[in-house]
Amino acid sequence: MARRSFFDEQRRNRRDSILLAIVVSLFLFGLVYSFAYIFAPDALIFVLPFSLVLILIYTWGSYQYGDKIVLSSTGAHPAEGNEFVYLNNVAEGLAIAAGVPPPKVYVIDDPEINAFATGKDPQHASIAVTTGALQKLNRQELEGVVAHELSHVRNRDVEFMTFVAVLVGLVSILSHIILRWAWWGGAGRRRSRSRDSGAGIEVVVIVLGFILAILAPIAVALVQFAISRRREFMADASGAELTRYPEGLASALEKIKDNNQGKMKVDEAVSPLFISDPNKSPLDNLFATHPPLEERVKRLRQM
Amino acid sequence: MDILTLSVIGALVVVALILVGLYFSYYNRIRMYENQIDEAWSQIDVQLKKRFDLVPNLVETVKGYAKHEREIFENVSKARAGLVSGSPQERMEASNMLTSTLRTLFAVAEAYPQLKANEQFKLLQEQLQGIEDKIAYARQYFNTSVLNFNNLITTIPGAWFAGGRSKREFLAIPEGERQVPKVQF
Repeated sequence: MARRSFFDEQRRNRRDSILLAIVVSLFLFGLVYSFAYIFAPDALIFVLPFSLVLILIYTWGSYQYGDKIVLSSTGAHPAEGNEFVYLNNVAEGLAIAAGVPPPKVYVIDDPEINAFATGKDPQHASIAVTTGALQKLNRQELEGVVAHELSHVRNRDVEFMTFVAVLVGLVSILSHIILRWAWWGGAGRRRSRSRDSGAGIEVVVIVLGFILAILAPIAVALVQFAISRRREFMADASGAELTRYPEGLASALEKIKDNNQGKMKVDEAVSPLFISDPNKSPLDNLFATHPPLEERVKRLRQM
Repeated sequence: MDILTLSVIGALVVVALILVGLYFSYYNRIRMYENQIDEAWSQIDVQLKKRFDLVPNLVETVKGYAKHEREIFENVSKARAGLVSGSPQERMEASNMLTSTLRTLFAVAEAYPQLKANEQFKLLQEQLQGIEDKIAYARQYFNTSVLNFNNLITTIPGAWFAGGRSKREFLAIPEGERQVPKVQF
């Protein structure tokens, strides 16, 4: 049964990745279209094919190099040297148990207890752990956390989640740009150049652009919310299956609850990758990317 | 040929195709699991070999501080010799024995504060602990693979395509011998 569900999970993630690529590409294309319409309505015929190619390259690049972007955005550095032998041993051991190649191991210099996994497939997976986790967790707890991350790798969650994080990162950046343009009175300048025939449609496109820009982060948060919770529970369960010791992760999660302030300097787009939300905000009750820790601990203790 | 013969032939062809398809799919799955078991064993093998190579370093380091614990050194090297030859089961038993003799060695080391403070010793201790864990995990993976294989070839329809393959043996070794590390950074 366990094997079946983990194959199911892989298939589901593959499908989600493809769906995501299509939806985001269309979304971006919509954004570019409204941009082009506003700035260069006469050049639409040149801009659109060009932007289509760019979007395809962008989507492909996010998939291919997403892990590098994520790792560098969190300031993770490779775990090399004697002080990290311990961490490397834990990761290699659990990789053996999961039947995946040993992941590359990274460290983030931060006193909070946190970790994430990234990569486009198990052969190119990386795991990053904070120095806080190394100092504050004992071996069983650290194994629990690393096993959770390796389960994300094995279920191919990392493929999908990295993809989301990177693709989504640009959506919010683009939306920011549109909003800023509106703020500085770009719309006023626009009116003087508009042609009689297109004026009505133009307004619609501008409005649509704004709506998209405002909706983007919210839609993104909702998507993350929908995808993360099930995956977190799954990874908790299959992580416990790897260590055969659910209590390790349960007690690590309790330490996370007691220790973490939620003040890591991590981009919002990347935060769903972490085992526990690195930035706590008042919006979290609405758009939580992670299920409540208490609930996760409870489920682990029931195993 | 009339319609009836045609449809009978058609039906037979469809059934034959389904059977061939099933045969291929189960043949491949059985082979896949067999390969997985081999791979799982080679994981254990790699760790046993690493452990074999690491133990002399440890013994040398400890000898530098605790020369007269001769009996322990002998037990360790005896257990170590068993790691590289014999059947999987025998080698796992040797590995188990080594685990317990190493535990005595580390217990003895407690009495030598200078040894305990030695960086090299701490690193070796961590590496041996890591290998011990990896062996345990590799064994777990091996046994899971064996379980999957056995399930596949003993249940229908897998059993029809097993081609006389027999069930594989589990690596039966008492679980729960994992030690809490004393290493701290």
